[in-house]
Amino acid sequence: MPAVQETIDRVRKIDVDQYKYGFQTEIEMDKAPKGLSEDIIRFISAKKDEPDWMLEWRLGAYRRWLTLEEPTWARVHYPKIDFQDIYYYAAPKSTPGPKSLSDVDPELLKVYEKLGIPLKEQEILAGVQKPAAADGEAEIGDNVYKSGRVAVDAVFDSVSVVTTFKEELAKAGVIFCSISEAIREHPELVKKYLGSVVPTSDNFYATLNSAVFTDGSFVFVPKGVRCPMELSTYFRINEKNTGQFERTLIIAEEGAYVSYLEGCTAPQRDENQLHAAVVELIALDDAEIKYSTVQNWYPGDAEGKGGIYNFVTKRGDCRGDRSKISWTQVETGSAITWKYPSCILRGDDSSGEFYSIAVSNGYQQVDSGTKMIHLGKNTSSRIISKGIAAGFSQNTYRGQVSAHRKATNARNFTNCDSLLIGDQCGAHTVPYMEAKNATAKFEHEATTSKISEDQKFYVMQRGIPEEEAIALIVNGFVKDVIQQLPMEFAVEAQKLIGISLEGSVG
Amino acid sequence: MNMHAQPQRTLAETALIDAFGERLSQLPGDGAVMVKRDDAIEAIKHGLPTRRVESWHYTDLRRLLTNVPAFEADAVAKALAPVLEGSAVLPVLNGVSQTKLPEIDGVTVQRLSEKLTDGSVAPGLDTYGDDDAIGALNTAFVADGYFVDIADATELEKPIELQNLQAGGQSHVRLLARVGAGAKAVIVERQTGEGDEALISSVSQLVVGDGAQVTWLIVQEQPDTATHLAQFKAHIGKDGKLTLFVMNAGGKLVRQEVVVRTTGEGADFKLRGINLLAGDTHTDTTMVLDHAVPHTTSTEVIRNVVTGKARGVFQGRINVHQYAQKTNAKMACNTLLLSDDGEFSTKPELEIFADDVVCGHGATVTEIDHNHLFYLMARGIDEKSARGLLVKAFVAEVIEELDDEALVEALEERLDGWFSTHG
Repeated sequence: MPAVQETIDRVRKIDVDQYKYGFQTEIEMDKAPKGLSEDIIRFISAKKDEPDWMLEWRLGAYRRWLTLEEPTWARVHYPKIDFQDIYYYAAPKSTPGPKSLSDVDPELLKVYEKLGIPLKEQEILAGVQKPAAADGEAEIGDNVYKSGRVAVDAVFDSVSVVTTFKEELAKAGVIFCSISEAIREHPELVKKYLGSVVPTSDNFYATLNSAVFTDGSFVFVPKGVRCPMELSTYFRINEKNTGQFERTLIIAEEGAYVSYLEGCTAPQRDENQLHAAVVELIALDDAEIKYSTVQNWYPGDAEGKGGIYNFVTKRGDCRGDRSKISWTQVETGSAITWKYPSCILRGDDSSGEFYSIAVSNGYQQVDSGTKMIHLGKNTSSRIISKGIAAGFSQNTYRGQVSAHRKATNARNFTNCDSLLIGDQCGAHTVPYMEAKNATAKFEHEATTSKISEDQKFYVMQRGIPEEEAIALIVNGFVKDVIQQLPMEFAVEAQKLIGISLEGSVG
Repeated sequence: MNMHAQPQRTLAETALIDAFGERLSQLPGDGAVMVKRDDAIEAIKHGLPTRRVESWHYTDLRRLLTNVPAFEADAVAKALAPVLEGSAVLPVLNGVSQTKLPEIDGVTVQRLSEKLTDGSVAPGLDTYGDDDAIGALNTAFVADGYFVDIADATELEKPIELQNLQAGGQSHVRLLARVGAGAKAVIVERQTGEGDEALISSVSQLVVGDGAQVTWLIVQEQPDTATHLAQFKAHIGKDGKLTLFVMNAGGKLVRQEVVVRTTGEGADFKLRGINLLAGDTHTDTTMVLDHAVPHTTSTEVIRNVVTGKARGVFQGRINVHQYAQKTNAKMACNTLLLSDDGEFSTKPELEIFADDVVCGHGATVTEIDHNHLFYLMARGIDEKSARGLLVKAFVAEVIEELDDEALVEALEERLDGWFSTHG
């Protein structure tokens, strides 16, 4: 496994708690005043040139939100968030909305270059190696993207700055654009599907998002179309004191297929920033959606100062028969993660999958898992979750599997394993299993342990130093999940895990 | 969603609060005990737990406890022949302990009403958390029970059977036991009754001394008119061993909590449970196990059979404290769901703060394996008998593990009894 050696090399090169995407860019921003009120929502809606129904939808959500209380059931602790102390809208001044690449502020392009996100289609097509950015920081991105073609929607603070490969995708009938554009250009689709999986009243953060979401991606793959390339959105929080509230909506019509990747980073800051996104997936008959996330928001420094609060609602609806939704996530960033990508298995013979690696170090707190709701007949689901806790972090898996009365032959397999590195961290497993049908077949297994001395001895006895031995075992531990990632991402994910554990391994 | 508003009291909540006012003058206890009772009823005044309270997620007591029967002073219950032949029987009849008790060498038995009156049990009446509704209910109303003290190094020749029996109405009982260092004992806790609607709360508290070995069996066979809210709490000392066997085979609304803490290195806890669920009933087994010191071990195996419209719940939480290195804890919960109207929910939790541990849990819910059924039917056994055999084998496996012939036989007899009426 050459990747293992790479991981180790990378880990060596980097100092403890050095977050490589922590830089900040000076870009002139257009911001709404701080705080949240109906006026701010009107402001956002007007900025986006939205139709009236959209504004009403937002206001409805906002009024609902006012009646809700912040959830406290997750195993995460943080000071109360002052929702009036956040900017709900911040956009680079030069780009009021998505345009062609030549109109984008060169400073902005530099940011993405630095992050290793290719926005210039020609370069990618020609396979041109980009000049290495300062300190070789863009290496990871280069590795990721040079191997294949990926269409990217780049979201910078509150707005989408550019979406690549739109024309080529359009030829296949695939719509890939920012959600703001979709609201203007394809209102009938947005109206039909937005909020149909995560209703505006769903939960505290989803409701907040419904009221103030500023951008995000929209994907529509029509009947029978296999999306010709990987789609990807890259989220970047740059501005201080802003919250990022993006909304993603992906629809795969009958027999369609799409694979979508999501990446995220933020600058290194002392104060915490809020990220509350909503992702809705809809798969009709025989459709398949594969959604992968590599979440690498700034996790805070070694003392636990700063970092992103990542409070996200992700849910997929297998609405059609034989449809399939698969979530894969690699969670290494964020000070606090509160995230449960779920599948509603409504269609007969539909299936859902959840593959997760959650790595926590420093003072990070992760409370993540999934829900598999079996409603249709012969539905199946599979959950593989690997949690690695190091430093002073708390890592919780929380998941629910339920079979309703009519869900005959529902089938679930759940495996969640936790690995503890150090005696100051915690790993927790909270699975809920609810069977209301005699033909349901649920299996759940969970283990928690540290790296076994026997395993380590076995590897070291073959002349491999301790640090490498541990890296090897950790990589083996997460292999089941890494294999589910699109190949281009698998390499990056593997490296990320190595980096996140730096300072604790060995 | 708005939790600010104090919801209106349910009929059951009102009935409990009223009953406390009426009963108070008759309840035994010195000042310290009475203070605990007041605190406890205050907790109930805040409302019974709902599904929003995490530990009561699957047993919404506020919704499920619809009726609280009045105290019936003249109901008659009679002591029963013990589960294990030759046991010394200590009966509590309709919530009242008896004066004529068998003499057992090395064992001191006291009536709990006396220990409430002199206040010596007051410290043990504390609830263990905000969500300890059973503890609060019992502390408020407890009137009697037993305190069984087994002297150090005593090896009991005969088992002790604590019987809690009633014939309708309400009863609130506490059974306390201390098993001294190096002692050995088998104790049966029998929970049953007959007749009209009943509300029973029963709290057992056990201290397993250093190096002591205890087998504790809870045999719960309440009639389907009874609400049975029970708690078993234990501390296990250094090198102490506790095997707890819980059999739930009755009751209308049942919650059996098991709260165990290892307090000395080398302590070992085994929980084996079978839940036989039938009719339109609700049975919840909830365990909280704290591995609080290094080098302790535990295994838990729960087997459930769900028929009719029964709803079953198993919640098991293993907490491994930060300094409890070298903990080895394993938990399994297997369920056979035999009817489309039945349901089973399980939540096995691990909360781990130490790194040098081996912990795991497994849970399954399934119907009878068709291959097994085919195997038996291919050998000329009709379907009904084949199913019966498989279901029985599924739960009997847990009993057979007990490694004590008399115990195994006695429990299999109870099992046969249940299958002959519900099979």
